[in-house]
Order: sequence, then structure tokens, then C-alpha cells
Amino acid sequence: MKRVIALSAIVVLLHGSVPFAQTQNTPKRIPRAADGKPDLSGVWITGALALLIGDKEARAILEADRAAGRTLPPPEPAPYTAEAEARRQYYLSRRGVDDPMARCFISGVPRITTRPLPFQIIQMKDQVILLYEAHHAFRIVPTDGRTHPDDIEPSFLGDSVGRWDGDTLVVDVIGFNEKTWLAGVGTIHSDKLHVTERYTRDTADTIRYDVTMEDPVVFTRPWHEHEIFRLRPNERLREYECIENNEDLQRFEKLLQIDPALRAK
Amino acid sequence: MKRLPVVLCVLFSAVLATRAAAHHSFAAEYDGSQPLTVSGTVAKIEWTNPHIHFYVDVKDAAGAVTQWKFEGYPPNMLVRQGWKRDVTLKPGDVVTVFAWKARFDSALGAAREVTFADGQKLNAGPPAGTGGR
Repeated sequence: MKRVIALSAIVVLLHGSVPFAQTQNTPKRIPRAADGKPDLSGVWITGALALLIGDKEARAILEADRAAGRTLPPPEPAPYTAEAEARRQYYLSRRGVDDPMARCFISGVPRITTRPLPFQIIQMKDQVILLYEAHHAFRIVPTDGRTHPDDIEPSFLGDSVGRWDGDTLVVDVIGFNEKTWLAGVGTIHSDKLHVTERYTRDTADTIRYDVTMEDPVVFTRPWHEHEIFRLRPNERLREYECIENNEDLQRFEKLLQIDPALRAK
Repeated sequence: MKRLPVVLCVLFSAVLATRAAAHHSFAAEYDGSQPLTVSGTVAKIEWTNPHIHFYVDVKDAAGAVTQWKFEGYPPNMLVRQGWKRDVTLKPGDVVTVFAWKARFDSALGAAREVTFADGQKLNAGPPAGTGGR
């Protein structure tokens, strides 16, 4: 009997100590799919972490990033033409009352991804599915080598096709309408917008997201945005039905009537 | 070295400011230069998207009651930060709300933090920002 107890103790000790040693000394391995590509599947969050998970956890994550030397390039000003910049300034002067998002329109790419709501990636053999909590939005990204179809109707999220560049998933998006903004207030684009997204699972817990936005109508050169997605193993997508009780339309209409700063525009 | 915490705070605030607009620009409706702290009794809660609203009856020194309406995060964000529907905030609860006033509506605010009767504090909405990155 004593021998059984001793053996059990050794087993418990071994089971307890091995994972501990792994987490302390070796980074977690990046999961890979059957075809050897990094598996991006999971629930992820980005953007304003604090809005989603609270100030304390957000601060801890950001400080850990700094301690690990993980930095992103500083935000790049949008390279608008003079005419497009004038339009952006107009929207800024109106304090964002024209934001399509405030009307519960589906955000486009990349804004849908960088909003402070989680999204889920489901990676399959020939396609990657992106599910967004915001607006129940989804994108289906074929990765079987096909190109964009020739009958694209302009849409909020555009048409996506993907390919692997080594360990990075590259998603090419075209076919947008002109009803979304790219990032903050006034970040307009035309229907000639071409977005290239690069998803790189650089650690087991993060994806590095590098976006290039090209638009010959509003930009003088490509515009870049960079983010870090955080894996949320215990998170699940919930419902976000924006139009349920959206008072902003009425409030903004009222503001336009009574606010001299807006009425003058 | 003493400056490091300040630098970190500034950096952190900058990160917050770039993404402050969860649904719409804060500055469209609210004035970040007009913070407000009121205490009162919760009258009603609308646990809805894209924002929750809750109403607080606030009594002034003369005993007159003003009902303030506060806007906050959508339910999903609150739940992820520890709120529970019908449990965390109920009609009849006495709370203190830190918010920023609306520009024109005299009894409307963007709630940032609620302090409950037991002293617990929870974020109720985003920090003031322009949303105009």
C-alpha cells in the first residue's frame, strides 16, 4: 500500500512539475494545421483592449509588451490628397456625427477588425472564415488559389482572397463600396480601395496584423496600419445587435439643429 | 527614472484615445472638459445595444430631484468586465456615477465609472476621447 502511495506521489509530482517547467522556460509552441501552416484559429481581440477587458488587464498586457520589447511602429498619418484631407477635416469639425458606424453600418476592412469587439478565426484547408462579434459580420477567405470573381458588387466588407506567404496569411481585399471609414473619424476611401492584410502568428498567444491600404482616388501613397491580436482562450463570441436601441441618429439630427458649431458647416 | 510611470501613463492614454470610439465619436455628443460626479438612486436600466442606459434620481440640497440619464458600454463589454445583468445594477440601488456631460442635453452623461454602495467600482463606459484619430 505504501508503495502505491509513493508511486502516486511521484506521478503527481511529475505531472505537476513538467508543465510548470515548460511554461517557465520554453515559449509555447505555435500551433500548426495539418498542412504545416500556422493555425490562426481562435478568438482574438485587438484595438482598445481596455474597452473590452478593463483598464487593469489592458495595462498589464501593454506593460508586458514593453518589457518584452514588442513594439509597433507609431501610427502613420493617412496620406490623403489635399481634396480628401479637406473632406476629412470637414468630418472632424463635425465631431464624428457623420460616422457610418454610428448609424450601425457594418464597418469595412480593416476597421471591422480593429474595433474593440472580439472576432474568431476558423482556419480550414482551403478557406479561412472570419467571424466578427460586431454586426454579426463574417468574411470567407478562399485560400485554394482562386482569384477575385469578375462579378463583384461593391460591398461594405469587399471581396477577399487569401494566400500563404511562408508562415503569413496574406488577404487581398477589393470591391468596396464608399460607405465605410477605415479607422477614426473622417478616414474616407473610394470604391477603388485595395486592402492587403498580413496575419502572422508570431507567438502562440498573438498575431501580428499588418495592413496596407491603397486608394488612387484619396491617397498619395499607400497607408499602413499595424496591430497585435491577442488570443482569448476562454472567450466566445456573443451577440452585438447594433440597431437594437441606437439613439444616435435622432440625437445627431437634434444636434445638427441646435449646435451652432455643426449648423455653420 | 521617476518619469517612467508618467511616460507609461501618457503612452497608455494615447493607446486608449486612438480607439476610444466603440460605437461613435465621444465628442459628437459629450464634452470631455465637463466631468461630473453625482450620487443617487437607480430608477431604470436599459440593458441594450449599442449602449446601455441607466437613469439615476439625484436629489439636490433643496430636495429637488433630477433624473440623469447615463450612457455606457454595450452589454457584451460590461459582462466581460464583471457586470451581471439584473444583479450588478438594479432599480433602487444607491450609486455614485462619474461621467462627462452631454453638450446640450442638461441631464445626459457618458458614464465612465460607477461606485456601488459597498464601495466596489466598475467601469461603465469608455474614457473621454475625440474618436478623431
